[in-house]
Amino acid sequence: MDLGLFAQYVMNGLMLGMMYALVAVGFTLFFGVLDVIKFSHGDVLTVGAFTALATFAGLSALGLRSQWLELVIMLVLATLMMALLGMLIARYLVMPLRSAPALNTLLITLMLGTVLRECVRLFYPQGANPKPFPALLPRGSVDLGAFNLRLDNVLMLAAGVLVILGVQYLLNRTKLGLAIRAVAQDEETARTMGINFTAIVLVTFAIGSGLAAFAGVMNGLYYNEINFGIGLYLGVIGFSAAIIGGLGSIYGAILGGFLFAGLQIIGTVMLPFASAYKDVFAFAVVIAIMAWRPTGLIREKISERV
Amino acid sequence: MSKTGQRMMVGIAAITFVIAAATAEAKDKVKVGFIGPLTGGVSVNGLGGRNSADLAVRLRNADTKAKYEYELVVLDDECKPNVAVQVATKMAADNEIIAGATHYCSSTAIATVDTYHKFGFPVIVWGAVLPDITYRNKYPEVHRVNGTMINQNDANAELISKLGYKTIAVIHDTTDYGKGHNEYFSKALARIGTAKIVGTFGVTAEQQDFTAELTKIKALNPDVIYFGGLTPIGVRIRQQMDKLGVKAVFDGTSGIVSDAFIQGLGPLAEGTLAFREGAPTEKLPGGKFFIEKYSAQKYDNPPEAYGAFAFAAMDMILDTIEKVGPDRKKLIDALADVKDRDSIVGKITFDDHGQNTVPVITKYVVQDGKFVEWDDSEYASGKRKLPGQS
Amino acid sequence: MAQKARVSAWPGVIALAIATAYLIALLAAEKQALIIALLVAGIAVAVAAVWSGLLEGVSSSFADHEDALGGCAIIAALVVAAFFHNNHFVLLLIITVLLYSVATLGLNVQFGYAGVLNFAGASFFGIGAYTSAVLNAYTSVPHLLVLLIGGLLAALIGSFLLLPVLRTRGHYAAVVTIAFALLFKTFLEVNDVLGGPQGMQVKGMNILGWSFNDNIKIGGVSFSFYMNYFVVSLLLLLAAFVLVRRLERSWIGLNLDALRLDETAATCFGLDIARWQITAFLIGNFLIGIAGALFGMVGGFVAPNNYTFADSLILVSILLLGGIGNPWGLVVATIIVVVVPEKLQTIQEYRFLLYALMVIMVLLFRPEGLLPRPVRRYFPGWRP
Repeated sequence: MDLGLFAQYVMNGLMLGMMYALVAVGFTLFFGVLDVIKFSHGDVLTVGAFTALATFAGLSALGLRSQWLELVIMLVLATLMMALLGMLIARYLVMPLRSAPALNTLLITLMLGTVLRECVRLFYPQGANPKPFPALLPRGSVDLGAFNLRLDNVLMLAAGVLVILGVQYLLNRTKLGLAIRAVAQDEETARTMGINFTAIVLVTFAIGSGLAAFAGVMNGLYYNEINFGIGLYLGVIGFSAAIIGGLGSIYGAILGGFLFAGLQIIGTVMLPFASAYKDVFAFAVVIAIMAWRPTGLIREKISERV
Repeated sequence: MSKTGQRMMVGIAAITFVIAAATAEAKDKVKVGFIGPLTGGVSVNGLGGRNSADLAVRLRNADTKAKYEYELVVLDDECKPNVAVQVATKMAADNEIIAGATHYCSSTAIATVDTYHKFGFPVIVWGAVLPDITYRNKYPEVHRVNGTMINQNDANAELISKLGYKTIAVIHDTTDYGKGHNEYFSKALARIGTAKIVGTFGVTAEQQDFTAELTKIKALNPDVIYFGGLTPIGVRIRQQMDKLGVKAVFDGTSGIVSDAFIQGLGPLAEGTLAFREGAPTEKLPGGKFFIEKYSAQKYDNPPEAYGAFAFAAMDMILDTIEKVGPDRKKLIDALADVKDRDSIVGKITFDDHGQNTVPVITKYVVQDGKFVEWDDSEYASGKRKLPGQS
Repeated sequence: MAQKARVSAWPGVIALAIATAYLIALLAAEKQALIIALLVAGIAVAVAAVWSGLLEGVSSSFADHEDALGGCAIIAALVVAAFFHNNHFVLLLIITVLLYSVATLGLNVQFGYAGVLNFAGASFFGIGAYTSAVLNAYTSVPHLLVLLIGGLLAALIGSFLLLPVLRTRGHYAAVVTIAFALLFKTFLEVNDVLGGPQGMQVKGMNILGWSFNDNIKIGGVSFSFYMNYFVVSLLLLLAAFVLVRRLERSWIGLNLDALRLDETAATCFGLDIARWQITAFLIGNFLIGIAGALFGMVGGFVAPNNYTFADSLILVSILLLGGIGNPWGLVVATIIVVVVPEKLQTIQEYRFLLYALMVIMVLLFRPEGLLPRPVRRYFPGWRP
């Protein structure tokens, strides 16, 4: 295969992997802290993307033209609102069910995801139709042989890396991060040490949901389009990625995200059939991995909890 | 009987007479149906069709000479074959609905023909172009007022060859609609023989990410990308073409002739080719009348490309019910015998498969954010150039 | 130990009669206002019954006289069908309820009894449906056998998932079936052999020359052709219901309950966890597959979009709403989930939203579901 073509595929894989990794990190954070799978994570991503779109519509109506400013405001607003949404979900739906079997939480968040998705579809004006997302990043590109290196892709990749590094820093170098890790490791001891359990849980959910909003905006910028179904798709992939990587480990989540993207790209390149088979291939591999390593590639007992 | 008793009798008699008179005056209610994609990516076409059918019913109800009063029952097929079969079953199973104007999406229309046949429910298709819908079986229930995709693909292949393009990559959706386009376009192109197809790619109708296909296409470096599919993925493909730096002419079919295509792409839509059977609405025989009446109703959506056909389909149903009465069997018999019937889209004749022939094919190119007829455009005159033209 | 006197069967019979009359009224009503009024009245009566303790009486009467009341329920179903003998659409609704109930009974065996999560219920339903599509189109296998093959194929394909399902627990197990659900739909969509996104037409059922797709005329009364399918569906539901009930009461059911409630303890008692989970999983998929095969023939059409992850979630919702482990609750929940959105046109658009909200409410406030499953009853009327 021609080097330029190869580079193109690698770039595609990196972009997809970044998005999946962002969602997977969110899943892992929630699991680490509360031992819950918050299945509505993907749909929070959708709501975040639509919030950003609505903000854009509002800003345009107000006459704002500077692309950078619009982008920043959209990101900030979407992230904040989703952080708030995440906290509400934690407070009213997840925490009351802590004593119930874990399955109930999984189910309730699954249903919540459906509620969020349907609300977007029904209540956002013409929500059932795919919506064009504004292209706010600079459109320049450089041609390296057969490989078309776009500036906006590079920017997005860089931003994604920065965000993940930021989360890592937050978790490993700050007091808040220390508190989160303590709660994840042992709730009771953390409480006896004076850590406010509820507050920490809410903050964790806020961070995770904020990440989802960021991923949603990135998704919108990459495809220049959003629709109410992207959350379900990305959510399941993110979930699978987090599981492959081993729940509770951030490195595992990132690894899982890029692995899944890699599987999809390999599936596209190597399989002679239509590219849609890539999903069949990737999910089949996920099932096989689960059979081989039931608790994920980075096994729970060895990994360090979030 | 006492005085009060007598008065009561008279009163009751009077009221009974009034009621009887009123009901005798009131026309019998007849239900007719409409099915189209009211939600989802191609909803603008469905809504336009629905409004047009609704217009036909309203005009007929306003007509004092009409024998019946009509009620339009509207169902949404979401452009998905399985939903279409469900709503078709629902409509056909309801014995009160006499006939229907059905379907914009070919994938839904072809899935439901057997259902209509099973229940003996007469339908006239208003927007789906797949030939198989009328030609795969000889069902007396199924008719169509708009044309099939064969002619538009002939014209498409002709123009591409005439413009001197040599290599074409085909992207089509995997529903029967996209597959049909692929089939007829390939055949037409092979007949002319000056251009060849370098690659064919099937994509799902809801696919998000086309980087895989487009990367392979980029390696093939074709002059033209022919797209057999509907607006939502047309928009995505065109956008991702730009992202990957694929510089080819984007050549589509009637599936992308829609305002939503231009709105979704903005300036990227410039220079896109498209083809459609039937003249643009303003140039149809009844076009001005239709547009005038449509605007007067102040609907939220424009009629779009096939609104006029939806109107014609519903109008024909209403006409025939007026003639033979609200009976499905009689309607089927009457519709088998349609020759040179006047309508806003011209004279309609159903052949032995219920298919109308629409002779005119309109060639479009997107110029400055609008679908302009090719012959009137600056591309034809040479003032602007499509990618790859010298 | 003195045995308490057996509760009378009458509360159950009366409740059944009222429910049947209500159902007929709901199905027959056409005007939206009337339907809304009926629904409000129904909810009010149900809430009153729960508060006043009447529901307790009804459930104990059901528990004591299950066989007799089961017979009455069948008569009730026949009455409802006879009332609508000429109405295609209502009969189709009833058949949908019956077949979804069978599918959910299958899920119940997997989840309610054995605690094995299956988020791919709609996929196995689809396997059954596609089996009947392919066999009817290309072979001349007798149609009753097709149903059986549909069930067996669903169980067989389910067995490919056995290894991952057995080795994983909890959330990880959920991923396996969710991944399969998505995989299955995409697989159906991309390959042309099975019709691709366009789907396939399914030939109607034809037993010994009696074509199920023709309207029947007996004497002067004409019946919708759906009556044929109704009879077969009712028989299927009957068989499935009896099977599931017997299973629950048998030693197999005892083992399943044990391993669901506490795996460690069950292993200590010598139960082979793997063996029983496999059994439950396969039996469940078998039931789902048969229901799917019949439904494919009823609808006459199969397409990948009918068997998505969202549809699997609907089946799980029915299970949760009705009360995990209680077959009667399942039937009631199925009726609610299938009939109400069809009749209440105004909420058709919103039905997914409403289901999800209802399930959330149930999970928050009454996790046992509408008709919770009581602790094991060995025999009708038995009390510990």
